Amino acid sequence: MRHTLTIASRELRSLFLSPVAYVVLTLWSVIAGTFFLVSLLTFHERQLQLQQFQMLEQIETMNLNDNLIEPFIGSMWVIVLFLLPAVTMGLVASEKANGTDELLLTSPITIWDIVLGKFLAGVEFVTILTAIAGFFPALLFHYGEPELGKTLAGMLCLWLVSVTYVAVGVFASSVTRNQLVAFIFTFVLLLILGMMLPFIVDISMSGSGVAADSKVAEVVRWMATGSHVDRMLQGLIDTGDLAYYAVASAIFLVLSKTVIESARWR
Amino acid sequence: MTDQKNREANRDSNREAGGDARPAGERAAPLAIEVEGLCKRYGDHEAVRNLSFSVRAGEVVGFLGPNGAGKTTVMRILTGFLPATDGTARIAGHDVFSDPIAARRAIGYLPETPPLYPEMTPASYVDFVARLKDVPRAKRRAAVDRALERCGLASVRGREIRQLSKGYRQRVGLAQAIVHDPQVLVLDEPTVGLDPIQIREIRALIADLSRSGHQTVILSTHILPEVEAICQRVILIGRGQKVLDQPLAELTKGGVALEEVFTRVMTRDAADAVEKGAA
Repeated sequence: MRHTLTIASRELRSLFLSPVAYVVLTLWSVIAGTFFLVSLLTFHERQLQLQQFQMLEQIETMNLNDNLIEPFIGSMWVIVLFLLPAVTMGLVASEKANGTDELLLTSPITIWDIVLGKFLAGVEFVTILTAIAGFFPALLFHYGEPELGKTLAGMLCLWLVSVTYVAVGVFASSVTRNQLVAFIFTFVLLLILGMMLPFIVDISMSGSGVAADSKVAEVVRWMATGSHVDRMLQGLIDTGDLAYYAVASAIFLVLSKTVIESARWR
Repeated sequence: MTDQKNREANRDSNREAGGDARPAGERAAPLAIEVEGLCKRYGDHEAVRNLSFSVRAGEVVGFLGPNGAGKTTVMRILTGFLPATDGTARIAGHDVFSDPIAARRAIGYLPETPPLYPEMTPASYVDFVARLKDVPRAKRRAAVDRALERCGLASVRGREIRQLSKGYRQRVGLAQAIVHDPQVLVLDEPTVGLDPIQIREIRALIADLSRSGHQTVILSTHILPEVEAICQRVILIGRGQKVLDQPLAELTKGGVALEEVFTRVMTRDAADAVEKGAA
């Protein structure tokens, strides 16, 4: 545990000594700001429209949570998918490129210390990202009255998706010594996990004649991140969804450990 | 001239140290490194073949051999970086395969390329390693300062490692290896790629470490004067096998240069191999 923290804090410090962290933080802030502004303007425009057409009933049902914060976070988790590989690509790959893996693997620590240390550093970084994104919905509390619980559930969702993707990044980074390869591999994995799985199901189903509600289709859909985001964004924290993030993270961390361990036997 | 004198002085003091240790040591000094029947295969290639040797606590042993003889592989097995295909290795009584954590705690290791994080400073880097190697919190600061001091890094402790010269980087690697005051020091070609002055400094440092401490040192090299300058014993390996294992004093008895011994043994070994191949 102590060694895990040692590795995590060194990693985080090195991350902030490199330009990558700042580039990602800047891009993230700019994108979050833009998306928030767009969501805000859309919200406002819709409100004006409804007023113009005297659709009072629908104005009644409009609220900051469902019509502003939810679409905002709904687009931010997709941005994580594009930016995070740049942060996680070096986590393990750079140790191999530097030769520092020889230091870590000959120190009185376990491979779990290394894997969890790297994971923890990534988690700390995405916590900063989540906090930056959270700044914008927080502004709304100054001007309006969004529901706190629902907003927090949305932020938790963004954080959990990011944490799971860090685990994917640790794994992709541990299979290679080349950071560019790690970047592309992470990106492809996240793309499949985050966006493509439902399409894969639909396409393969339509060809093979398997019913879309079959067990296989169900499992593949369960694997897609998207299917565990919506409910939480609506403020519904479901144990099944939480289990998805925990299981996915655990699987990729175990894989990372296995890969690092098996590399020594080659 | 002065260099030679220094070297001779070093050798003499080493011999004395060895002389002190040996009569009592044959029985009393515990074995710091024990290697038995070590084999390592990479696919079809046998990098290490049935290698056995042992090193007593406090000894400075030169691990000698031509390039590609398997020196680095043996050191990597000793430090637990690589698993052996067969055989056992014990460091300070701990088996490196079955009790890796305790074995690694007893080892300070400088790999062929020093394992440095270029963006860190020597001070923060050595502190990081001290944490990894379980130096108690209360002693950590002093241990880090002492390691930096001994390796002559006090003046650059706050500079980025990437800005340091090769000689300084090598010293940072050495500081990292000694920070937890390990019982066994494993140094893989510690002076390769350095200029003559840096080489002399590193050698002086190693000699100083072995003299002042209870430290056992095993260092690999293919530079013969290095062995003559700091080692008490020579283990020569060729093509993964032990060819020779003798105290330096015996080898160079009667004024024979180590280089002659080395060349003689290696050519004889090569001839044997050819004969075996022919038969």
